[in-house]
Amino acid sequence: MTPQRFRAIVDAYGADARHWPEAERAAASAWAAQHRSEADALLAQAAQLDAWLASDAAATDLAPDAALIERVVASAPANRQPRQPRQARRLSLAWPVGGSGRVGWWWSGAAFAGVGLIGGLAGAFAVSFFLVTGNPSPGPESSYLTTGFGGTAADWSDE
Amino acid sequence: MSERDPDAELVAGVGRQEPSAVRTLVARKLPRLLALATRMLGDRMEAEDVAQEAFMRIWKQAPRWREGEARFDTWLHRVVLNLCYDRLRAHREQPADELPDHADPAATPDAQLEAQSREARVRAALAALPARQREALVLNYYQDLSNIEAAALMGITVDALESLLSRARRNLRAQLAGDDLAGTRTSR
Repeated sequence: MTPQRFRAIVDAYGADARHWPEAERAAASAWAAQHRSEADALLAQAAQLDAWLASDAAATDLAPDAALIERVVASAPANRQPRQPRQARRLSLAWPVGGSGRVGWWWSGAAFAGVGLIGGLAGAFAVSFFLVTGNPSPGPESSYLTTGFGGTAADWSDE
Repeated sequence: MSERDPDAELVAGVGRQEPSAVRTLVARKLPRLLALATRMLGDRMEAEDVAQEAFMRIWKQAPRWREGEARFDTWLHRVVLNLCYDRLRAHREQPADELPDHADPAATPDAQLEAQSREARVRAALAALPARQREALVLNYYQDLSNIEAAALMGITVDALESLLSRARRNLRAQLAGDDLAGTRTSR
């Protein structure tokens, strides 16, 4: 361990030896013990920043709230339940920008059901028309085949 | 990889749709994922959305998960970071005319400095870092990943990781020291 390497380790990983590279931890600690004053000057500066960072750890590393935990657990295939009100609220916030996979998934389900229903009605109409006229009905207009939900399934399936 | 993946059995249980495994995995991973996303995005609500999306990926992948290719925790960190970068990119691409026309008087630097707690100042300093520096610091310092794990996760060498970490810490120190000076000036 050289003084330069010790300084580089402290500059990058801070004063807490737990964050130091495992392969160099023992050597760096031994160097610090042998060069106390030099090491202390470097460690003191890094420890000041570590203390700042630790204050954010206390504020940010809060336990997730119970409602979030339940939403996540409920989203597992074994526990799927109807969507919670929070999703409906977020949906209205996300529309029309969209972009969230979760919101896209919700809409793709609605789109799928809607397209299925419309397809069934169109099929029944075509059959009845053919029976009456003896001719196949003209195909649907191309605009009829598109919906406002076209891209959402792709959003959801995107890895 | 010689060591067993500590999450392997749990992920297998999730793949078999065992409710107890699902609950245990959520308890084990959700706090870490939430903290990671909160620091990367600077927004708890968005971080919650990212965490939920990450778990949807877990439910999808768990039945196909095979031990030995990558540690589950490393894969999961990558999933969360990718989701965070998607959102950070989306924020950057938002048209300027969607920004408020007038500055919030409560957000002027002096008022902000007085109102900000120590934690909020650190959070603001973290948020001001370039994203890759923030990622390196969050993975190494807050997520307790080793330098080798963090570098592998970021797709860079350990030397490059150290360089990012050094610059991140230097920038944070400069910004927080600047805040201290400004705080002293405004309190006079």
